[in-house]
Amino acid sequence: MLYQRLFAASLLLACLCLGVIAWGFHAPFSYEPVGPRAYPLMLLILLGLGALVLLIKPALESSPSDEPALTKPMLIKVAICLALLLALASLFESLGFVPSAILFALGMARLFGGRWLPSVVLAVVLGTSLYFLFDRILDVPLPLGVLAGLEI
Amino acid sequence: MDTLQYLGQGFDVALSPNNLVTALAGTTIGTIVGLLPGLGPINGVALLIPVAFALGLPPETALILLASVYLGCEYGGRISSILLNIPGEASAVMTTLDGYPLARQGKAGVALSISAWSSFIGGMIATVGVIVFAPLLAKWAVSFGPAEYFMLMVFAIVCLAGMAGDKPVKTAVAVLIGLMLSCVGIDANSGVYRFTFGSLGLSDGIQFVVLVLGLFSISEILMLLERTHHGQTALKTSGRMLFNLKEGSSVLATNLRCGVLGFIFGVLPGAGATLASAVSYMSEKKLAGDSGRFGDGDLRGLAAPETANSASACGSMIPMLTLGIPGSGTTAVMLGALTLYNITPGPLLFQNQPEIVWGLIASLFVANIILIVMNIPMIKLFTRILSVPNWTLVPAIAIITSIGVYAVHATTFDLFLMIAIGIFGYLLRKLDFPLSALLLGFILGDMMESNLRRALSISNGDLGILFSSPIAIGLWALVAAMIALPFWRRYRAKRSAKLANA
Repeated sequence: MLYQRLFAASLLLACLCLGVIAWGFHAPFSYEPVGPRAYPLMLLILLGLGALVLLIKPALESSPSDEPALTKPMLIKVAICLALLLALASLFESLGFVPSAILFALGMARLFGGRWLPSVVLAVVLGTSLYFLFDRILDVPLPLGVLAGLEI
Repeated sequence: MDTLQYLGQGFDVALSPNNLVTALAGTTIGTIVGLLPGLGPINGVALLIPVAFALGLPPETALILLASVYLGCEYGGRISSILLNIPGEASAVMTTLDGYPLARQGKAGVALSISAWSSFIGGMIATVGVIVFAPLLAKWAVSFGPAEYFMLMVFAIVCLAGMAGDKPVKTAVAVLIGLMLSCVGIDANSGVYRFTFGSLGLSDGIQFVVLVLGLFSISEILMLLERTHHGQTALKTSGRMLFNLKEGSSVLATNLRCGVLGFIFGVLPGAGATLASAVSYMSEKKLAGDSGRFGDGDLRGLAAPETANSASACGSMIPMLTLGIPGSGTTAVMLGALTLYNITPGPLLFQNQPEIVWGLIASLFVANIILIVMNIPMIKLFTRILSVPNWTLVPAIAIITSIGVYAVHATTFDLFLMIAIGIFGYLLRKLDFPLSALLLGFILGDMMESNLRRALSISNGDLGILFSSPIAIGLWALVAAMIALPFWRRYRAKRSAKLANA
């Protein structure tokens, strides 16, 4: 319930901020009666009203959820998973696809409970085979990064 | 009989060797994706969009691929429901109610084959429905102006919230968030940058693939992380694999009723397969009365949701093809794929590119037949896939997702954006907001704004144009009825509670 309220409140706040930003949208010259401002403002007003309803009466729609409650070890796992994703995104170009994907797959496999040796094998197979599948066969250019010198 | 002639052309397209192989591959991939726990048709279709692009498939082939993946997922979803009691996706929840008890009684083979058969009948009924009604609706829809289109989209959105049952406000909020997200980027009419916060990566708007994969793939990975603890073993499929004539005829009436029901729900914008399977299960249970053993292994209870499920999957093609308005989350993804190919679905598609429309419709037939032929002998193989552990699956899904997102613009900005959207989607799911509503809003957003502005340009700013034609007024009435629906439902629930207390 608290989380529902918290979310509704931050949604309302976001609506207000975005509303202030949207108020500034102004077309320098325009050929049509409706400018770029009206439609987003209309949406924000409706969205704000919805958030207000959820803020005032959160009990209206929160059924006892069947999702398991977030525990501390779970939160840590989620944080590690996000860190891995962020690491993949930031190393994608600088380190190149193959090494970053291998490191990422190794981390994910371990996180989801794989044992060391199978995880390493899986990571190497995934990293290299997906590179060849997408870059060579499907023509999706992927960055080579540090392996660029190898000219595979 | 223009329709038959067009249908013949459609079969020419669908039966060409390339497209036949595509349909075969699509249904296989779809079945596998559908039976993996946690992955549904939206994930399957979304992951395949970049692949379809990379393969350089022509638009009709790409569409056939996506449609057959969709149908395959609806087929595959039942396997994990029956054998594991874990529905692969939301619309398969009802299948678990009678499917799992049947499997525990040692009738897993019968349950699987009869549900495959039910899906087949449902799909066939709905495909016939598509053939009959889609051209009619397309002919009628040509007379729609921007004002009518705007109202139609308002109706689709209100319908989504009104049908959502226990959480209309949350659904409406999710749609509105989706509509807001579609505003990001340069405004096409005036060139004003909206909500870009000075970022170059956002000036082009949020890319559709980035949003879908972030919302469904990344948030799903986070959800799987929580569920990865408790493992469950699949029940063995032993004994008779095929249902006999007596069992088949006992569910035939159910099949026919639920096929029609599911088709109607599929056509309604926003209602979709989940609602169709729930409603048909409930109505069959009521019809059977005391004679049914619903809940502990009644074959009718298994046939009803399965028939409705695939009937609505086929039926939801109608609003997508004729009006350009998706009826479900998955057709929303397909619509997005079409716009990536620069094809605008709508009534004119039937006139301008009949090979795409009729090729797709004919391929629904082909895919249904492939699925039933493939499913009965290959059931043993598919059940083995259920034992693939998450630790091999998730890294592969995550990396393919990242490649798909990177392929759009070849910038890592999109990867970060995808992760941010994924976190947001995860939070929304935790708080019980429907994500497919958000996706529908995002797809409709652009069209909705441009139609509204076009309508008001025609009338020179006079809002009266929104009430000017009989079609628009009729749509207003439907919108009002849909808004009233949740209130009426609540009133009725209160009254029956009072009666029970008295």
